[in-house]
Amino acid sequence: MKRHADAKGRNSRRPMVSVVVPLFNEVDNVRPLVAALVETLQNARLSYEIILVDDGSTDGTAEVLREVQAQYEHIVVIRLRTNFGQAPALAAGFAHTRGEVVVTMDGDLQNDPRDIPLLLATLAQGYDVVSGWRKRRQDGFLIRRIPSMLANRLVCRVTGVALHDTGCALKAYRGQLLRRIHLYGEMHRFIPALSKMEGARITELVVRHHPRRYGKSKYNLSRTFRVLLDLLTLHLLMRHVRNPLRFFGSIGLLFGGGAVLTLAATGIFVGLFSADVSALNVLITLIFLLLVSCFQFLFLGLVAKLIVETGVRRNDYFLDGQATSAVRGRA
Amino acid sequence: MSVGGDKAAQAARPDAHGRKGANAPGVSVIVALRNHGAVLPKLCAGLMEALAEIGEPFEIVLVDDGSEDDTFAQAEQLAHTHHELRAVRLRASFGEGSAFDAGLKVARGEKIVYLAGRVLTDPHGVRALLDRLQRGADLVMAWRYPRRDSPLNQVVSRLFNALVNRLANLKLHDINSGMLATRREVLNDLPLYGDMHNFLPVLAARQGYVVAEEKVAQLPGAFRRSIYPNEYLRRLLDIVTVLFLTNYAKKPLHFLGFLGGVLALVGAAIELYLFIYRVLAIGPIAGRPLLLLGALLLVIGLQMISIGLIGEMIIFTHASDIKEYNIAEIIE
Repeated sequence: MKRHADAKGRNSRRPMVSVVVPLFNEVDNVRPLVAALVETLQNARLSYEIILVDDGSTDGTAEVLREVQAQYEHIVVIRLRTNFGQAPALAAGFAHTRGEVVVTMDGDLQNDPRDIPLLLATLAQGYDVVSGWRKRRQDGFLIRRIPSMLANRLVCRVTGVALHDTGCALKAYRGQLLRRIHLYGEMHRFIPALSKMEGARITELVVRHHPRRYGKSKYNLSRTFRVLLDLLTLHLLMRHVRNPLRFFGSIGLLFGGGAVLTLAATGIFVGLFSADVSALNVLITLIFLLLVSCFQFLFLGLVAKLIVETGVRRNDYFLDGQATSAVRGRA
Repeated sequence: MSVGGDKAAQAARPDAHGRKGANAPGVSVIVALRNHGAVLPKLCAGLMEALAEIGEPFEIVLVDDGSEDDTFAQAEQLAHTHHELRAVRLRASFGEGSAFDAGLKVARGEKIVYLAGRVLTDPHGVRALLDRLQRGADLVMAWRYPRRDSPLNQVVSRLFNALVNRLANLKLHDINSGMLATRREVLNDLPLYGDMHNFLPVLAARQGYVVAEEKVAQLPGAFRRSIYPNEYLRRLLDIVTVLFLTNYAKKPLHFLGFLGGVLALVGAAIELYLFIYRVLAIGPIAGRPLLLLGALLLVIGLQMISIGLIGEMIIFTHASDIKEYNIAEIIE
């Protein structure tokens, strides 16, 4: 984490904006991307840093990044040892941002750097997160846009963050907020939701979108299932992280109630109709099933409560302004 | 020199006093010992002989993991006669992982060689490992070759290696050889606790380090028993650990949720089938084992999903401690 701010005569003050771009095998896109970014940011007279994270590319992206870094000012290249994935790559970039605003975008030139000043202007109206909305998307209709539309509806419903296009990589965040968010696994898809958990004000802005020129898309349909499971996690985290016993406990009690009802039904059967024992087997199996599940969920709820209470995020919250660090110190 | 406890921790930081003297070793060999008093003198003699030829200052750290025999007495004796040798004794037997960790804390070298006393590999193999390290690998595993072991042990070992290689995308012949060479900075980046020292190549490769192997002979006494039932069981569980480490450590629900979801769906399908069967009055279902099977699958499936959710909660509450990436360099 060496900073040669003075050695290279750079402005050692916080830049206005840090642009973070994760790159994986984008060798042909790097030069035009950086050129466009630098031009836009200089024209807008913004103090900036561009953080390019090479996520273990194998196509020579690293060499091009080295050249680009030497050619332009205010460029930081972070080379990861191997391919870790989008979320860890972003996390590595975020950890090195200093800007008051952090902008993320894809390295495939489908996002347009000219939208960055507009995002910043929107952010300045009093928001913590501004998400891009690719209203006129330049991708295949069937395999990209339809699944994306359904996914957006679902994400919106589960997380309560009303965005038309959560999948758009072009987003702007207040740096202070973003540096509180710890990305892991595949959580990069849900940064707005994680921001909301920190109390962020979120809005969206229509941005430009271009078809892919070089390289190929890393998208595939098979991740749908994992996204669904992540949504289940998010549901638990967003609604119940302060009191998980309520979530697990109510499921457990539901099963318990079912067991009691079945037991009553069995009693009635035996008492009124003197049903034969073999038919009872079905009901008894059902009672066992329900009881086992009931206790299991109740105890899991207790374990979950234990985890939250011993966890590091207890009573951790995000304040407006500079008091944040003082509050975090205790957490 | 014989150190233990706080003194050991102090000895680990000689550079803090600014005297990076001529005797600061470049290579530290850590030997984990437990009831190896009988072979220790020969092992040490072999190590000293091999290390004398590498042309670099070295040290050997003997860690006694609570032996019941005269291991520590022997180690102390050796440490008194040779200044390159240091002996560390743990108060009780804490396991090989803890012995390795204690050795690491005491060791001063930049290059670390680890040797578990139990495997009895030829100490002269150290040179081959260090050579390979020099030629650009980050972690070099010993490959016990030719293998002196019972046929059953060899078969189990092969199966284990094949499975772990497949899961972790590695190409090693002897993942569990108990002998390796690496650099300290590599170890600093790996999460080491409990049994994790068994998975160093897997962990290092996952972080993007170059993992290689070199053939090392075994000593004549290495083949002791023909079967190790407990060991096989442990290996089986190790495979699960590797699967988690490589793919699902930070996303438990992706694994458990998928598995649980499939099981619960099969269970639900079975019960639905039986329900329709009964409603259409084709026949009685009460006596059918299928009924119980369906119920069982449903319960197990639900259980897996909820355990996966618990796992996600644990990860989330510790998210600030998680660093999933490994930075090779920063250019600014």
